[in-house]
Amino acid sequence: MTRITPKQENKDSIGSVLVVGSGIGGMQAALDLANSGLMVHMINDEPSIGGTMSRLDKTFPTGDCAMCMISPRMVESSRHHNIKMHTLAKVVKVSGHEGNFTATIEQKARYVDPERCTGCGACEPECPTKVINIFNLGLDKRKAIYALFPQAVPNTRAIDPVHCLYLTKNVCRKCEKVCEAKAINFADEDQLIDLQVGSIILTPGLKTYQPEIRQELGYGKLKNVVTALQFERLLSASGPCSGTIARPSDGGHPKRLAWVQCVGSRNAHNGNPWCSSVCCMYAAKQSIIAKEHDNEVQSTVFYMELRAFGKDFDKYIEKAKNDAGVIYKRAMIAEIVEDPETKNLLIHSVGEDGRSVKEEFDMVILSIGFEPHNDAAEFAKIFGIAADEHGFAQTSKLRPVDTSRKGIYVAGTYQGPKDIPETVIQGSGAAAEAMALLGDRRGTEVEEVVLPEETDIEGEESRIGVMVCHCGTNIAGTVDVKKVAEMAAKEPGVAHSETIIYACAPDGQQRIRDLIKEKNLNRVVVASCTPRTHAALFQDTIREVGLNKFLFELADIREQCSWCHMHDNENATHKAIQIVNMNIAKTKLLVPVTSASVGVTHNALVVGGGIAGMRASLSLAEQGYGVHLVERADMLGGLLRNVRTNLEGDDVQAFLADVIQRVINHPAITVHLGTTVEKVDGYVGNFQTTLTNREIVSHGALLIASGGEEYKPIEYGYGQSDNIITQRELETLLAGKGPENDKCYVMIQCVGSREEPNNYCSRICCQDALKNSIAIKEKAPDAQVVVIYRDMRAYGLKEDYYRRARDLGVLFLLYTPDEKPQVDVAGDKVKVTLPGKVLGMEMAIDADYLVLSTGLRPQPDGDEFAKKFKLTCNIDGFLLEAHVKLRPVDFPSEGFFLAGLAHAPKNLEETISQSLAAAGRVGALLSNDKLTVSGVISKHNRNICMSCLACVKKCPFGAPFIDVDGRVSHNEVKCTGCGICAGVCPAKAYQVNYFRDDQLLAMVDSVTDMT
Amino acid sequence: MVIDTEKIEEPKSPEKPQEVPIDWQANIIAFACHYCAFAAADLAGVMRLRYPPNVKVVRLPCTGKLDHVYLLRAFERGIDGVFAAG
Repeated sequence: MTRITPKQENKDSIGSVLVVGSGIGGMQAALDLANSGLMVHMINDEPSIGGTMSRLDKTFPTGDCAMCMISPRMVESSRHHNIKMHTLAKVVKVSGHEGNFTATIEQKARYVDPERCTGCGACEPECPTKVINIFNLGLDKRKAIYALFPQAVPNTRAIDPVHCLYLTKNVCRKCEKVCEAKAINFADEDQLIDLQVGSIILTPGLKTYQPEIRQELGYGKLKNVVTALQFERLLSASGPCSGTIARPSDGGHPKRLAWVQCVGSRNAHNGNPWCSSVCCMYAAKQSIIAKEHDNEVQSTVFYMELRAFGKDFDKYIEKAKNDAGVIYKRAMIAEIVEDPETKNLLIHSVGEDGRSVKEEFDMVILSIGFEPHNDAAEFAKIFGIAADEHGFAQTSKLRPVDTSRKGIYVAGTYQGPKDIPETVIQGSGAAAEAMALLGDRRGTEVEEVVLPEETDIEGEESRIGVMVCHCGTNIAGTVDVKKVAEMAAKEPGVAHSETIIYACAPDGQQRIRDLIKEKNLNRVVVASCTPRTHAALFQDTIREVGLNKFLFELADIREQCSWCHMHDNENATHKAIQIVNMNIAKTKLLVPVTSASVGVTHNALVVGGGIAGMRASLSLAEQGYGVHLVERADMLGGLLRNVRTNLEGDDVQAFLADVIQRVINHPAITVHLGTTVEKVDGYVGNFQTTLTNREIVSHGALLIASGGEEYKPIEYGYGQSDNIITQRELETLLAGKGPENDKCYVMIQCVGSREEPNNYCSRICCQDALKNSIAIKEKAPDAQVVVIYRDMRAYGLKEDYYRRARDLGVLFLLYTPDEKPQVDVAGDKVKVTLPGKVLGMEMAIDADYLVLSTGLRPQPDGDEFAKKFKLTCNIDGFLLEAHVKLRPVDFPSEGFFLAGLAHAPKNLEETISQSLAAAGRVGALLSNDKLTVSGVISKHNRNICMSCLACVKKCPFGAPFIDVDGRVSHNEVKCTGCGICAGVCPAKAYQVNYFRDDQLLAMVDSVTDMT
Repeated sequence: MVIDTEKIEEPKSPEKPQEVPIDWQANIIAFACHYCAFAAADLAGVMRLRYPPNVKVVRLPCTGKLDHVYLLRAFERGIDGVFAAG
């Protein structure tokens, strides 16, 4: 199948996209679009890109430093040749239509010429004006000339015209005098720029709730009451107290910390009615990190409901409870009072036994919620899109990233509260929609990159530059980085060594480029974090100044040294020296490696014909690629066939029928029913997959959307009575004979979920219970509905339905897993008893229907399936993505992608978002005509090969083969560079590029030298 | 012929047993696959798991790349232990 150009209604459409907002969602959309050959204009109203994520200290569950994760993305966005950044800019007018918009941008004056500014920062100490630092949420001050944060992108200062003495009072100009680069330009003016784009993606991000409104919590009056976002800054190594948590009142180290949940959320009276979705998890994260900072910290979280609904979230809460000793108290806070002497804080709450409790804390953190962006209302007007009742962009649950105006898409928190991975997913998903719209305009607006000629270093003495990264305090807090750099300087072949605060930040990258030129370096070692995430970035950096990418090595002194030898500074420093020196020994022997490129088959193979697989297939077909859709059942539709409506009331069956019809009718999609995958051969861009019907399909990427299954309960007497049913069966019952006024419906939540052996939240069951409860009460108001629950996980805007259910008179009763409800079948009735906490007595309900909220399970043959594709599953049997936060739909193996229930339990809207995201990621890959193959491959020397066939037998990829002359040859295109051939070859006829024997032996020698 | 049992002696190692110094730390080299064991070593760091600092990791593209020569060279040069993981 060849690539099919999609039909285009608007012949005048333009191959560029405007991305409004450049947080993690905006950057994801921009990078996917740019990689697919579309030109991207990314605009942002702050002087740096990065958004809310750049303000976070660490992210859960890995505890990765947020800056370390987002920094490479920021650098990539700023360096991508298909992305034009416009900072300090906002859109003031949009005209035109889908495919051809004109957006008028107001670009604020920066007063610093970004072309000239080196980011040296010499101007800042000279500036006499101190301004409240908004980035650090008012915890400290900055100057009127400033960078938003130390790793800002673009790395140029900006002058705040509201506070600059010259711009307000016509005096000073001190920055101008000290700037050697002559970058200060007071004559700079605001400008209006018109941009022609085919599509627009809105990712303006969020605003946080202003907790002053809730006066009883004392924020703004009591010094030691801070918001969670302020606490992130207090935790952060680049924050106002350099990562040692200091109490605002006295700078002391607080030991007793309390978090107050739902501040400004789930409260229509003096906050917002919705649930902000992320606060339960960030509170757990912050309490764990606080414990890491100081082992004496004792944390307490006051919460209403623990909404740990995402993949592996419950396990993280368990970690907080068990490993970090966090105390969780289900209580609403009446008041926070300050002790005037100590400035400690007394929290008044009502315990579970109904009694009033007073507890003292050193510091209280308010878990503030999300609100639509500041200008959301104006935003909707400018872009001509509809907003919902709360001010979020209005979308349908069936088209989660489409706004009401064609050609304008939305991603992230402007669509509703959500966390980082879901924002990233929507970023890729919105990009996929724009790619589908502008498929035939790919490559029309972009320019090709020209890299400088590679420097010939043959015959040159090794001149290695060594950069030892502080990584804020991540490394420098444990390892004496200065000493490491000093020791490195003594190693043979090292021409220069120094330390650097953040090697991966733009100024760090620029420093590396400058040093290469200045010191005439021909090889580089960076000692920082793991090569698995950061090597590619530095390789690109050195290539930009003409060094071959493989004249670089990354010494991992963070993950493999400072992080696991915390508080053992002397030994950690010694180890870091050894790690750096062994990498220097290797680097000394590195030689340039040339990378070959291969063609790409512009088809995708999608495994699974449920809604995830079908929606992704449609998007890919619309983008212009061929799709093979494989489904093992003999009909399309998957689990969605059993669902009638969603919580929001959309007609799911009509939607499903429409999608199935479009899939079947689309000329670019070939559906293979009753078929599964037998065997996958090939590599990214060029797979050959054998199906069980013996058909062989060629494809460039593979998308797994193999789904899950609904749990069939064995608990609570299911099967003993016709009146004990599941939520899905109730849905069918309600659609049939409907709800009855004289009946009592009792629902039990978390059946077969959140306990061993299936100790995870199935995410959809609370929504199912609300959906059915509301359906009953709306039609039969006199019917009694009781929901027995552990935590109602009505996250995000679903809280509206939780409230509606309560308003309609649905009763919600709490149970704990150690005191589960008891069920007895008595004739037509089902008696449900449970301990009544408030009454202090047992309660019994005679139910006409007992409805079990059963969860989702991975496919029963999931393990076997995963093995076939060499993929891994988490402990619960769901497939494991490449990175929980930033690569949520990628697999670690190149060319493999993931969507739907195979990843984790999720509802229809989330499944659609994820399948669009996967289609976007696949599309960006398939848009390439050629892929550059990794240079790390095995090189075969025929002159010394004895053709013993050891390699032919051992190679798992079939790369070595018996050539026509009867001797062994090596097919480098199939080679993955694993080096098994080199390991087994008795003649040493194979050497793996970048992992040659002499290079590895040099490392061994270096390690053994030090003892 | 009578065998003189007294003349048969237990073979003795030419090496003399030595006291292990109390602060002695084994010097260990680990060969780790980039995709699994090296990633696991990273994960150990991310999870802040503590382990003795006397192990240095050599990253291989795959444990299949491990050559006997590396092991022999390491022992020849006095390494105390080799850990191959992948």
